[in-house]
Amino acid sequence: MADFNVRSDSVKVEQIMEQIRARIREKRGVDYTEQQIRELAAVKLEKFLDPKGVRSDLLQQFRRAQPIYTPPVPGNYAIGEQTLYESHRAPLRWIRRLLRPVLKLFFNPNPLIQALYIQSQLNTTSAQRETARDQFDQLHYEVMHNLVIETTRMGIEIKNLKMRVESLTSRLEFNERRARALESVVAYEPVTGDRIREAPPPAVAAASEIAAPAQEPAAVPPEGPGQRSRRRRRRRGRRGGGSAVSIMGAGQGPDVLPPGQPASMRSDAPAPQDLPEPPPSAGGSRTEPLDQGAPLASAEREDTGRGAGEPDGEQ
Amino acid sequence: MKLAVVVQRYGQAINGGAELHARYIAEHLARHADVEVLTTCAADYVSWRNELPVGLDRVNGVPVRRFRVKQERDPLLFARWSQRVFDQPHSLADELDWLDAEGPASPTLVAHIEKHASAFDYLLFFSYRYYHAYHGARAAASRAILVPTAERDAAVGLSIFKPVFRGVRALMYNSPEERAMIHAVSGNERVPSIVVGIGSDVPSNPQPARFRSKFNIRGPFAVYVGRIDENKGCKELFEFFDAYINAAGGQLSLVLVGNSLLPIPKHPRIRHLGFLDDPDKFDAMAAAELLVMPSYFESLSMVALEAWALGRPVLANAKCDVLKGQCIRSNAGLYYDGAAEFVETLRAIEQNRWLSASLGRNGRAFFREHYDWSVIERKYLDMLARLSKETAVPHMDPVPGWFDRRKRDRAPGTQVVAALPIGPAFGQEAHIAAHPGVGAASAEPPPEARNRQSRVEQPGRYQRARPRGGSRRMSGA
Repeated sequence: MADFNVRSDSVKVEQIMEQIRARIREKRGVDYTEQQIRELAAVKLEKFLDPKGVRSDLLQQFRRAQPIYTPPVPGNYAIGEQTLYESHRAPLRWIRRLLRPVLKLFFNPNPLIQALYIQSQLNTTSAQRETARDQFDQLHYEVMHNLVIETTRMGIEIKNLKMRVESLTSRLEFNERRARALESVVAYEPVTGDRIREAPPPAVAAASEIAAPAQEPAAVPPEGPGQRSRRRRRRRGRRGGGSAVSIMGAGQGPDVLPPGQPASMRSDAPAPQDLPEPPPSAGGSRTEPLDQGAPLASAEREDTGRGAGEPDGEQ
Repeated sequence: MKLAVVVQRYGQAINGGAELHARYIAEHLARHADVEVLTTCAADYVSWRNELPVGLDRVNGVPVRRFRVKQERDPLLFARWSQRVFDQPHSLADELDWLDAEGPASPTLVAHIEKHASAFDYLLFFSYRYYHAYHGARAAASRAILVPTAERDAAVGLSIFKPVFRGVRALMYNSPEERAMIHAVSGNERVPSIVVGIGSDVPSNPQPARFRSKFNIRGPFAVYVGRIDENKGCKELFEFFDAYINAAGGQLSLVLVGNSLLPIPKHPRIRHLGFLDDPDKFDAMAAAELLVMPSYFESLSMVALEAWALGRPVLANAKCDVLKGQCIRSNAGLYYDGAAEFVETLRAIEQNRWLSASLGRNGRAFFREHYDWSVIERKYLDMLARLSKETAVPHMDPVPGWFDRRKRDRAPGTQVVAALPIGPAFGQEAHIAAHPGVGAASAEPPPEARNRQSRVEQPGRYQRARPRGGSRRMSGA
């Protein structure tokens, strides 16, 4: 009968263990190459870390503070059962061997031999440990150095992530503005028909805008304070801007953007075919929101935590 | 056929691994042959105090003959001898003194074996490392069958045992790893042997709900069953489980079953239930998601086999070659080497129902195929039949003379064990069965088996294998 007759089903334990180990390796991350470590230690540290907090030449400083100590290596002695009785003179050796039983009548040399043997072993072990200790110290320095490098790497990553968050925030803001602009254009469209010739006066547009929300509460559930304030801001934005161009201009400041073409001047602005032409009334109203644009700018500041004139970090 | 089972302790209430093993084997072989148990009056494995009555007794229908132990163990003396033979160059006489100090020294038992050996067809000696097995196997070498129950500890490296391993009629191993280790240490490949192990009477309908309600345990949990001891890897288990708890996502609790020799961490997700009787223990295993076996040294983990019999996966310590080998052979358990692997393997079993169920299913099949009592009995009977066909050639090496016994030329036990092969052992037959598409002629062993072989073939390289086992064991000796 065979000792073992293993029938394996679909599960292969060794494969699963390999996968688990691979996952662990992934979690731990990829080790840096020596070259990368050197580059990081030399360059990135000063650039990204607070030089008061972390020293890039930590390893060198450690080495300077504690130079490598080379202890004197005393020779160990060898001890065995016969060592105590040995001599380079053969007759003496013979006599000692002859008298050994007599010697053993007086005392037992075996514990002595054993103790000396243990001592010699301890000496060897101690010397080995001392050597290992030196190597271990070096490892400590390396670990510290690597920690500094890792901290640097994390600093870099945090910086990158911060920039990325800022970029995303600015994109979000831009998209919100764009949505508002498109919303306002859609609101004007059924009234105007021909945008250039039959544009309603701003007062009518404003009245229709105000009248429309007044009917909403009956249809929609009660809204929260956040929604209400957003709606108010949007309304102010429409009153003030009225068009995508004017709203887009609010972020940059009226004195920077000439009327009629500011949106196309910005690299992150929508393409002209995406953004409809503003109605003439919007151009007319561009001067008006300069007064009303102040609350919009302050509202934007509340929303994003950044002033209207500050760069959005997109670049 | 008349058989004798010779073991250091024997009784209904004695639950040591080898002793329980011996009792199960005696009771099951008693269905096929006349079995008599020869043992000592000791009940405690630390002191070997004579607690049970001398003479004939009967345990579960099996006649048991007990003999007095000459002296109780002196722990200090034993520790001193252990230190000498395990850690220092020593003589054969030192090893024999260590054996006497270890106990249970019962010269009357050995004299009885010597006198009545011919009355038995075979004598099954359990646990190679004790006095009764060494002297008893020498007294009846031509009829001796050894069940070594050897772990990877320093004792296996002592030179007194090599002639015993080489001189008995047959060996019944618990695992391929045990067989490989004893082959390496004694070169006894020519002695008939087989890997048998032991069965277990696992209930067919455990009651996990009853266990949960009785001990007020809710939620998924991993269970550890056994003595809660540093030598069993429990301290490491607590550290690793702490890492698992701290790593987000894990929901398992740890339930500990067994007497504790260690302080157990106070944590709401660690419950210690103490020693449980068999029904509760099996219910606990059935209720658990998995069984954790953190032990470094096992000859054969009965608890792991029981968990597999109940369809539960096992998470074993990879440092234990036997457990790792069992997990790989059965495809019914994972193993960990370090905290990171512990956390990940535990999570894998916890979160992947398919994996957990497949491992459990494989475990059940593995137990049924290899550790069902009918399989175990058949292996024993086949071996006895094989031996009865062969003529016995006694070749037990004699004990050296007075002067030779006192030569301090024996290497420390830990040093010998450190040089032994490490890693799971894969028999060719097991490998072929596990890879049915590969022909026997072209079959290559798996990488770990190749490593193991290469170490054996290259002694120089093999010497540099990391020292394991002995030193750790010694700390608890």
